[in-house]
Amino acid sequence: MGWAGRRRIIGALVAASALLAACGSSAAETNAGGDPDPERRGPQGRVAQFVVECELSHLAYDDPIVLPWQAGKSHLHMFFGNRAVNSDPGYNERMLSAETSCDQRRDTASYWAPALLNAEGNVIEPLKMSAYYRPGHGVDPAEVVPYPEGFMMVGGDSTAQKTQSSDIVAWSCGTGAARNDAPTQCPDGTSLRLIIVFPDCWDGERLTTFGASAHVRYSSFDNEGGCPEAHPVPLPQLTIGIDYPPVDPTGLSLASGDITTGHADFWNVWDQAKLEGEVAMCINRDLVCGVTS
Amino acid sequence: MNRKLAVALAAVITLAACGSSSDDAAPATDAAVETDAPVETDAPVETDAPVETDAPVETEAPVETEAPVETDPPSDGILHVPEDFAAIQDAVDAAAPGDLILVSPGTYNEAVNVVTDEITIRGTDRAGVVLDGEFELDNGVRVLGAKGVVVENLTAQNYTSNGVFFTSSVGYRASYITAIRNGDYGVYAFDSINGQIDNSYGAGSPDAGFYIGQCFPCDSLINNVISEHNGLGYSGTNSGGNLVIMNSTFRNNRAGVVPNSGSYELCYPERDTTVVGNIVHSNNQADTPAIDVALLAMGNGIVAPGGIDNLITKNLVFDHDKTGIALVPFLEEGANDDLPTPDEWEIGCAEQREEPPADEIPESLLWEAQNNSVTLNVVSDSRVADIAVEGVSMATEELGNCFGGNTITNTAPANLESLAPCDGEGSGDWTVGVLNVLGWLIDVENAPPSIDYQIAELPDPPELENMPDAETAPAVPATNIVVDIDVDAIDVPAAPAG
Repeated sequence: MGWAGRRRIIGALVAASALLAACGSSAAETNAGGDPDPERRGPQGRVAQFVVECELSHLAYDDPIVLPWQAGKSHLHMFFGNRAVNSDPGYNERMLSAETSCDQRRDTASYWAPALLNAEGNVIEPLKMSAYYRPGHGVDPAEVVPYPEGFMMVGGDSTAQKTQSSDIVAWSCGTGAARNDAPTQCPDGTSLRLIIVFPDCWDGERLTTFGASAHVRYSSFDNEGGCPEAHPVPLPQLTIGIDYPPVDPTGLSLASGDITTGHADFWNVWDQAKLEGEVAMCINRDLVCGVTS
Repeated sequence: MNRKLAVALAAVITLAACGSSSDDAAPATDAAVETDAPVETDAPVETDAPVETDAPVETEAPVETEAPVETDPPSDGILHVPEDFAAIQDAVDAAAPGDLILVSPGTYNEAVNVVTDEITIRGTDRAGVVLDGEFELDNGVRVLGAKGVVVENLTAQNYTSNGVFFTSSVGYRASYITAIRNGDYGVYAFDSINGQIDNSYGAGSPDAGFYIGQCFPCDSLINNVISEHNGLGYSGTNSGGNLVIMNSTFRNNRAGVVPNSGSYELCYPERDTTVVGNIVHSNNQADTPAIDVALLAMGNGIVAPGGIDNLITKNLVFDHDKTGIALVPFLEEGANDDLPTPDEWEIGCAEQREEPPADEIPESLLWEAQNNSVTLNVVSDSRVADIAVEGVSMATEELGNCFGGNTITNTAPANLESLAPCDGEGSGDWTVGVLNVLGWLIDVENAPPSIDYQIAELPDPPELENMPDAETAPAVPATNIVVDIDVDAIDVPAAPAG
């Protein structure tokens, strides 16, 4: 067996252990807490990043992080990236060998978010999703490490009953700097974009705590930057932007509930060697390896 | 142009840029009853049993060679692939500054990353040394911040992003490159300075065959390239400052040469680019891959949306459905900063990088093309105008552009060289024969859609020269690229045969 094969077995074992361990964890935590990063404003090209753009893969009432092995029990999700993902959280060959809907063909990770619904409750199909991987605020880019194999996390709070911080969940028009609490009427020629910023500090141990997010935190900009003591491992800060047609914002909701419940999920099923290479080449070296428009 | 027209134009531009919007509503969903709140679930008992597998894992190493792999580079500083190193990446990783990696003919399914300064990657045969991404790998050769790297005399094709890509490189050169059917650009230099792209060919990319962007001053040169059947022949967002595009051919793209401004990347605006001595023709090609901007700019030879202080001179430009040379505004919806004021145009890229964006950022920006000089070009067979200019937020006559000594038949507005000569005061009526950019921008809604870059039909490449003495010439790192072009010594090129 090659090293890659052994790594996958280790990864599967670790993932399974983490899943089992997490089942006993408290359900009290609903977000990653900590002081979120200030929103990124201004042009791309200032901060190191690598980017991936993905088409919609599929829609399903599945959620392998929050409702593992409970097929059809979730609210409706839009899945981007890995085309094989369903409710099964197994980090295994089925997932690793799956096709992707992303332009970066080695990005077989899965990204998902609740479906956007119009006033009649019909799904508004997204145009695309862009994923930006960057160093978090106050984090030394050279210290950022790749997500471990099988790592899972949630950005935003699906149970939020009031507006979340625009540093984490926001709506904009296209790639513009303006961030709004709710969808607005965007000009023709642009898109309505949902932005979700994921936590970027890890406890270094658990691959997931299901939807609880106890294993991750946001880096803190008023804590002299960097990651908090209990979550000392800096990960790439993942920001995703999901673009929709510039629809009438009246009556829009998410499949998770009110528009305030914006959130998204990430499961690292990247080709791990490729992910490690991109983190090393782009983030650790503090370089811009691509931009989106 | 009045404000009302500007608004209308903005609407049209944005509509055009959008392409067809989708109203395809999926079937209604059942009411959402589940949330992502942590849910006490039955403890999962399933685990994924370790899967014993030796399933082949794709690597980015070449698949066609089985040569032994050396770990130490030869003492003569020449690393042979595949004779000494099975993969180009292996040789790159073993190379020291000044080394030459000499690649023999073969197909290399690699995405090569370069982080070592001053190395040269050279094919011994331009057409025979083929880096092929097979539409799975991202970049043929990606140079990441390394200084003075040279990539020459090889083909890079079928990559999902770029054939050859330099990012944040000080000193770079791409010579005798054939870049075909790559998903973004053929040869792409971003945030890089002191570079040169020469004797190269780019075809079949939805963005541009050749690109230099986010640099000021760039101190860079594009010389003797052919770019065809791309969305754009050349594109350069927010670049300029001793940036020269010369002695090249841009033909049969959607649009030819398109330096442009925008706040979505750093170093705005685009300014101080010299476009001289090029042949630019027939950029109306309907069956190419194309990004939205290429659809918008289709049918124009040299067009500078929001460009400033550019010199466009001594080019031979012909056969365009819209204009031969056009200075037009660019509407940017979703701005990331406010517009730079004229006194900020000279701020270098490094300084701008340290400046935070404005506290108040408008929803949109209108970048006007200002202070450009269009001289001594030979332009013909333009269906709208050989040379055109138009302002939207500013009156056209206040943009400060000038025109003189061009061989032309018609302009928009009419008699442009009398209205805005480069020497002396202009006179005449700016309202006669205006471009009416609104009218031809409407056409974009009916523009032929982009063709998937993987399947778009491409012509056979023309006969492309090999680098002289590729097997024996010493490596010359790109550490002393000096761009000092005597524009006066360049003539308008002769018409191509046929």
